[in-house]
Amino acid sequence: MFGFFIFILLPLLIAGLCYFIKDLKIQYIISLIVATFHLCLSLFVFVGIYNPQLPTFFSIDSLSKFFIIILSNVYFWVVLVSFSFLKRSVIPKAEHGKKYYFTLLNFYLTANSAAMLSNHFGMYWVAAEATTLSVAPLIYYYRNEESLEAMWKYLFLVSVGIAFAFIGILFLTLSANGTVLEGKQLFYWEFINDAKQLNPIWLKASFIFIFVGLSTKIGIAPMHSGDVDATSNAPSPIAALMSGSLRLTSLIGVMRIFQIISFSSSFEFARLLIIIGAVLSLFVAFVFMFKVNNYKRMLAYSSVEHLGLITLGLGIGGLAFVGALYHAVYNSITKIILFLMAGNIHYHFKSREVDKVRNVLNFLPKTGWLFLLAYLAISGIPPFGIFFSEIKIFGGILFSDKPFLLVVVMFFLLFIFVNMGKIIFTMLYKKSENENRDSQIEQFELTHFIAIALFILLTVISVVSPDILYQNIVNITIDFGIKL
Amino acid sequence: MGLEILQGITSIILILGVSPLFAGLVNKQKALLTGRIGAPVLQPYYDLQKLIKKETINSQSSSFISRISPVVNFVSLIITAAILPVGFWKPLISFNGDIILFAYILGLARFFQILAAMDIGSSFEGMGAAREATFALFAEPIFFFTIGSISFISGYTSLFEIYHSIQLDNIYYLVFILICSISMFVLAVTECSRMPIDDPNTHLELTMIHEVMILDNSGVDLFLYQYSSYLKLFIYTILEIAFFYPFSKESYLFGIIIFFVGIIVLSFILGIVETITSRYRMKNIPQYLLFATAIGILNLLIFTFSK
Amino acid sequence: MENVLSILFCLSLFYVAVTSRVKEYVTILRFQGIILTISSIIPIFYHFSFLGLILPTTLLLVKVYLIPRYINKVILDLDIKRYIETTIQQMVFMPIVILSMIIIFLVSSILAHNTELNVIPFASGFSAILVGIYIIMFRKKLIVHVCGFLILENGIFLFGTAVASELPMMIEIGILLDVFVVVFLMGIALNRIRSTFEGFEVSHLGRLKD
Repeated sequence: MFGFFIFILLPLLIAGLCYFIKDLKIQYIISLIVATFHLCLSLFVFVGIYNPQLPTFFSIDSLSKFFIIILSNVYFWVVLVSFSFLKRSVIPKAEHGKKYYFTLLNFYLTANSAAMLSNHFGMYWVAAEATTLSVAPLIYYYRNEESLEAMWKYLFLVSVGIAFAFIGILFLTLSANGTVLEGKQLFYWEFINDAKQLNPIWLKASFIFIFVGLSTKIGIAPMHSGDVDATSNAPSPIAALMSGSLRLTSLIGVMRIFQIISFSSSFEFARLLIIIGAVLSLFVAFVFMFKVNNYKRMLAYSSVEHLGLITLGLGIGGLAFVGALYHAVYNSITKIILFLMAGNIHYHFKSREVDKVRNVLNFLPKTGWLFLLAYLAISGIPPFGIFFSEIKIFGGILFSDKPFLLVVVMFFLLFIFVNMGKIIFTMLYKKSENENRDSQIEQFELTHFIAIALFILLTVISVVSPDILYQNIVNITIDFGIKL
Repeated sequence: MGLEILQGITSIILILGVSPLFAGLVNKQKALLTGRIGAPVLQPYYDLQKLIKKETINSQSSSFISRISPVVNFVSLIITAAILPVGFWKPLISFNGDIILFAYILGLARFFQILAAMDIGSSFEGMGAAREATFALFAEPIFFFTIGSISFISGYTSLFEIYHSIQLDNIYYLVFILICSISMFVLAVTECSRMPIDDPNTHLELTMIHEVMILDNSGVDLFLYQYSSYLKLFIYTILEIAFFYPFSKESYLFGIIIFFVGIIVLSFILGIVETITSRYRMKNIPQYLLFATAIGILNLLIFTFSK
Repeated sequence: MENVLSILFCLSLFYVAVTSRVKEYVTILRFQGIILTISSIIPIFYHFSFLGLILPTTLLLVKVYLIPRYINKVILDLDIKRYIETTIQQMVFMPIVILSMIIIFLVSSILAHNTELNVIPFASGFSAILVGIYIIMFRKKLIVHVCGFLILENGIFLFGTAVASELPMMIEIGILLDVFVVVFLMGIALNRIRSTFEGFEVSHLGRLKD
């Protein structure tokens, strides 16, 4: 009960509390304490020291342990940077909205933890919808036209997607008709154990609907547009939060239905569908990276690309599956750094367009170097983690039954790397014609500290590669029935 | 055998005699609803009597079509009346598949009317002919889907057989009747050029459809056209009432009561609809007709797949 | 009895396809709410229980009273013009709806050979989902998009009653919660749109294109 309280109930209470407290600093301190508790508890659960007892619709198995520690990690760092972010000045209409920031963040934590920890499809669905509703007003932080449009599109498209996922869940119930599972509730493990008896037509239909519906939230093509718009217009901590944890929330839904299908006869069909979706999102990222002229949008497409890689690893299976799980961890950490640095650049240059940003290394040296380093990290330079996970994914593809995909994937990734580099190097190095910016020496802010801390964390995890992490991932693959 | 022929002839005479009365009833309802006293109920008879005495003039540029068209119109409608079942009496013409004959004899009448309108040589009537042809295009599927679905249920294809062989043991039939009668009503309104498709009282170029086609006729020609339009309205009324025939299986008296009550109720409904609705814009009329078609298709689907 | 209600539901879908007034959408939402309430009251006639009354009352309150009233208020506040603009020809919409309905009925009757399901509510729910998607695709006004989304949710509900005979109460309440909160947020968003943009059409939301 203690575990349930800390994970889910406490943030809900604090959300309510923050609604009534007027002082931003007190809200920040309370939220930070909650985030620390959350992180510590998920660390204990992950390591295995503490095994909480959760009420009926929740349970902890290796997949949820894995994802909840990613969530706690991302959330903690985002909350840490929030106060100094909120101190930056915005238009007067937006000042009014700052007092809801922490309420919505805590509510997001509740909803997301509930989604990760649930073991019932209905509970998962309600929690996923709640995460959408909690993030949407946060996207509207800057209170201007683009963010309004982004919020509208995100809310609308994701709600339609989640309605589709609900249809998929109904089909799942229908597939259980006539079998042992008829009339029972939609608990994961009961379905996984009896998966062979489920009606294949309805199971396939259910998978299609859940996958298509949740892919609006994951950000996989062809339903990526709402997500990309929202990520590129949200304030940078929120964009980091979304890229790091929100996509994984919907990914866990797809993984659960994939888990059910992998023990039944429709496995190849589901696998094919996932691979098609993944390659399509890589293609979309490849195409749009050529003509993007907004650096936050570039980072959003980079998120699409990396989620595409994770999904591809999921679909291929074997070594690629392990690599995909590692990739989820590293991607979420690196994205935080990228978005925080982009937020710094946005604040100083007051524009998101690449054309207006020049000579960052001169004006904002610390931000510039960290941004460059983060770009290299996300593109797969060792010793930062993405290198290791991508090697595993590529190895998995090579030894699977579809090795030709490796050529396609590497072709796309090459061009994405080149285009991103072109944009970033233009921003960082190129001098502009009229240099009328007042050259203040850049202060060493909290964002830089967080970025350096995250780099160290990333390097430690990828180089040291703790055994607990590996064991957990192996457990997950056993759950999915994959032989390594 | 002789009794059936007698019944058939009696039903035709009944239809011929009562149809102007029905039109007069509808006009009286409309007048009462708008607060006027209006013409007497028997006014259509007086109108027809007046028209016979007048001189028949045809345009100089018209051909033989203008001379034969009114007669063809009238005769087709009499044949249609002969197919229609009135109450329990078997109609004069009744064989398997006579619903198709029904629809296309009416189509023949409309075809000649359109030809005659174009034959007059004035562009005014040509405009009316074009409009009438367009709306008839959309109205045809309504008839086939509605009557088709009811013939699918009962399994027969003759109008008389259809309406007298339906068993009333499921509630679906009641819902089905309601829905079918709605689309039949829409069809009736279209074919007989009533509101909200066409205003029978207006003579403005912007809004006329049917009236404009007979604008240049007079005397016996006009008498035949007017009588045909009264007949058409009454034929569709009887088709609507025919949906309720299966209820009259109980007793003979019940059947007669249903017949008369049905006529009065339908004239009332038609009067109300004509008074309340305004005419739809020309470009919205196809949608309105597609709505009725969709209802017909829905019926067909539901009764196909509810087995 | 469910079949009769599904027929009426389909008729309301046809009406939505044909109409060209914004307020009619709200009327249709009310009508569909009433149909869904009636269809959820039916099991109560078989075995009465107070727990079974929660769902119909919530449905009645939310779908028939609160949400249409809220949308009417939004229409009044934003002074939305009466006429719906469409992105395709008005005439083409109805045949598309008819065609998709025919295909859905055919497919569901084929599926009914395999599993045991109630064909007519199943097909009606699914066609409501499709009509909701068509409205979102083919109409320009944003408030009409919201109405299309609500029709989609109604379709899912009808579909749910046809598919699972003992649908867990929690899922149904989840749907209602979802609809409730989503409509509120959409209303707030539309309010801001009124003060920021000039129009309420999708064509104005083009800033974020690549």
